[in-house]
Amino acid sequence: MARAKAEQQQPTTGMTLIVMVGLAIAFLLFMAFLNVVKSGNLLNETNLLFATLIFYAGAGALYLGFGVTGTESYLKFASLATWLGLIANTAAVAHRWYEAGHPPFASVYEMLLSFVWTLAVLTLVAEKKYGVKVIGTVTMPVAIVGVVLMQLLRTDVHPLVPALQSTWLHVHVTLAMLAYAACALSFALAMMFLIQDNLQTETFLAVTSASTLAIYASVVLTRFEKWGGLSLVAWNPEQKSEVFLSRGVRLFVTIPDLGWLLTLTLLVVASPLVFYGLARWKNNDSFLALANRAVFLSILLQVMALVMFLVRARDGRYPSLDADGLFPTSLAASPFILSGLVGGVFISLLYLLLLWRRSDLERLLPSADNLDRITYKTISLAFPLLTLMIAAGAYWANQTWGSYWSWDPKETWAAITWLVYALYLHMRVTRGWRGRRAAYFAIVGFAVVMFTFFGVTYLLPGLHAYA
Amino acid sequence: MAVGLRSLGHKTWRNIASIQTGVILLILVVILSAVGTVVLQRPATEPDEMQSAYSPQVLRILDAVGLTDVFHAWWFLGLLLLVSLCVVAASVDRFPNSWRYFSRPYKYPDESFRRALHPQKSVAIADEESGLVAAERALHSLGFKPERVVRKDHFGIFAERHRISELAVYIVHASLLLIFFGTIVDGLWGWRGYLSLNEGQTSNLVQIRDKSTSTLPFSIRCDAAGQQNYQDGTPKKWWSKLVVVADGRDVQKKEIVVNDPLLYNGVRFYQSSYGLNGKVEKLTLVATPSKGSGEKREIGLAENATVALDADTTVRLAEFFPDYAVRDGQVYKKSNYMENPAVHLVVTSKSAGKGFDVWFPPMEEIADNSKAPYHFEATDLKMGHFTGLQVSHEPGQWGVWSGVVLMGVGLTFVFYVVHVRFWAVPVCDPKTGKYSLWIGGSANRNRDAFEQRFNDLVASMEAELKPIPRISRSEQVATVAGN
Repeated sequence: MARAKAEQQQPTTGMTLIVMVGLAIAFLLFMAFLNVVKSGNLLNETNLLFATLIFYAGAGALYLGFGVTGTESYLKFASLATWLGLIANTAAVAHRWYEAGHPPFASVYEMLLSFVWTLAVLTLVAEKKYGVKVIGTVTMPVAIVGVVLMQLLRTDVHPLVPALQSTWLHVHVTLAMLAYAACALSFALAMMFLIQDNLQTETFLAVTSASTLAIYASVVLTRFEKWGGLSLVAWNPEQKSEVFLSRGVRLFVTIPDLGWLLTLTLLVVASPLVFYGLARWKNNDSFLALANRAVFLSILLQVMALVMFLVRARDGRYPSLDADGLFPTSLAASPFILSGLVGGVFISLLYLLLLWRRSDLERLLPSADNLDRITYKTISLAFPLLTLMIAAGAYWANQTWGSYWSWDPKETWAAITWLVYALYLHMRVTRGWRGRRAAYFAIVGFAVVMFTFFGVTYLLPGLHAYA
Repeated sequence: MAVGLRSLGHKTWRNIASIQTGVILLILVVILSAVGTVVLQRPATEPDEMQSAYSPQVLRILDAVGLTDVFHAWWFLGLLLLVSLCVVAASVDRFPNSWRYFSRPYKYPDESFRRALHPQKSVAIADEESGLVAAERALHSLGFKPERVVRKDHFGIFAERHRISELAVYIVHASLLLIFFGTIVDGLWGWRGYLSLNEGQTSNLVQIRDKSTSTLPFSIRCDAAGQQNYQDGTPKKWWSKLVVVADGRDVQKKEIVVNDPLLYNGVRFYQSSYGLNGKVEKLTLVATPSKGSGEKREIGLAENATVALDADTTVRLAEFFPDYAVRDGQVYKKSNYMENPAVHLVVTSKSAGKGFDVWFPPMEEIADNSKAPYHFEATDLKMGHFTGLQVSHEPGQWGVWSGVVLMGVGLTFVFYVVHVRFWAVPVCDPKTGKYSLWIGGSANRNRDAFEQRFNDLVASMEAELKPIPRISRSEQVATVAGN
């Protein structure tokens, strides 16, 4: 009964998604076209990256399209698009390597380039070798986010500063990229497992919307300013620090109108929870369908809020209530809000993924047991790589700074990542954690990896200034 | 009483060795390290930055709890020690079992084991000997060295590979302890410091982190240092030619660059910075006598150096300001950056019995350059450089590196080396009197792949068995007849 209802509701949500993805690709193609016209040179790095993005986006859309409609022929094209994207990606890597004269590992941009490449390769390996055909539904969106981030980050080639001229750097970063890509794969497999394992989506729905609600409630309650503004800490770009009025008192600037947008998002984010509550209270499943639709709407608004936040808080000067004049701010000044917004979109998308459970998808995926085993295998590949990555980094640090371990944030978070996966392995081996709990662990582990990769670089200060 | 104490000790031991304790401790380490990356940390952050970031009350609380220097706080070190203790206890607790497993391999499967084992298979054979021979051949062809197990009333075949895999996890734990040991040794006996040398300077004083200095038993001299730039002006390479001087002799020479330190007596010198030391190495001047028709002369001056211009007159480079400002008729140093340099020369004439101040750039409100007996023109200014060296002594790092290598080996064994065992036992059905060969196998990880291997083995055994029966029956008849 419930399943029949779920299948009735699928087509509409599926259509929305396909239209959204299609529009996005059309937009990207248009941008790429403008870019080619502007530069007059077909084979430069920006165009190669755009090609990569378009193919990966196409692959992602086709994977998603398969997830929604169950048309198996989509998968073939998705795989083809991934191949094409990988070719463009390889060309971009080679171009960068040639231009910079060193492997592309020296900045966040270059590392993302390598990371996305590794991820695509591993996706194809998982597809061909282990027969996890729909793995791209999870890995391709991650790759797309990576390529989009690359567009935001600066792209000019920087010569290597003396500290980076070491073979150990290449060893360290290669291992890091391999390890992180393996972690991403294990995360994707864990998600597939949850889909295959007939997880009760309602509980996940409640948890998802409660946590996004908590994120937006805390942002709006603490930062909503008079007349719909959002107050953020002012940032001093020269000193790379927050601006202080006096001891421990930060200067806040107000970005107009952003407060309204976040409040609106708060209301929409709250609605799935309300519907869920109603469904529980009235014991009526039709409210659950409403809740699922509200989740789609909330993702749309969350993405909008995130984009607006990124656009407006990235730079620009804004007035303050406490001092006269205009002051700059930066994303680095609001680490918690930024990670909150990104995290909100992330968990909502995870929920979205779980909704795609369908009998044809279940048929195409390996059995839950197999997925669980492959997840474990991927982690048992990632863990030694993580260990060696940390060791190579320590050796390099010892050669450069005269100390193999200095507890700088990146090092510390790498160690935390290692510990999280060590915990996973111990729980699995000694406690026999299998299946769902192990899958949750793999998801948490990947979240920590992502924080170590991006979060630490942008949100926490430290020695790893170049990466 | 004594028994109570012993049982208490036993209980504590069991608690420390338990996986729960380990998990709780690791989670604590994770949380506290995460806190340590979010809260600004003391030695790395300047005190005034700390004071501006946190209000006084908050800062006092953070300081009191130790959250402003998490990674050097006693409770954090204590926690790491507890983790080590937990690893030791857990390993010691579980090791005897694994050791028994390792040192006394289970070669002959008894009946209850045979019933429960998966995967297993029974193959019909003509007699015991032919079955065992077939099994041996099949195992040989797979690269195993099968061994006949003969007990009082039964016999069979046992083959195994990579038994060491059973102990791999202890290798990993031991390597972790080795790394901890190395870092503890470094924490107790190691030190890090900074040494700044001008070109040509010799020193043995190292600045340690807490502003104290330490004297090395030898000195280090910098013969030359330099920087190479990329075309866009960003630094490409810093180098220093260093010489170790011990007992008045040069004992070791090396040109160090970033990533390639000099090592002497367990002390390492790392290139860490390079820059202007604010001192003049050589100021080139063209001096022309103000009166008469004396010749132009080019002279070079270092800081505080005096050069004779003629029999009567000398010039001295008295002061140098990399970045100057004038206030109330006085010249001040504004900063150490080469922004706006000024040079103060003193020209002394014996016959006039006094000195004349000369300034570059000319400063009329302070001194009139034209009064001096010589007219100067500055043509070149070469500044002195310093090379910044990180100095460190890490006696425990060999523990760390050997631990890392051992961990690599251990993890390889843990994840990729599988302890595989095969047993073959001939069984006679008491009712029918027919023989069959029971074959069983076990692997300590990666069981799905192992099952495939097991099936392959059984298939090859069956292939070995097929052509044999007729021949072996006649052979057996012969042997029976012979007896």
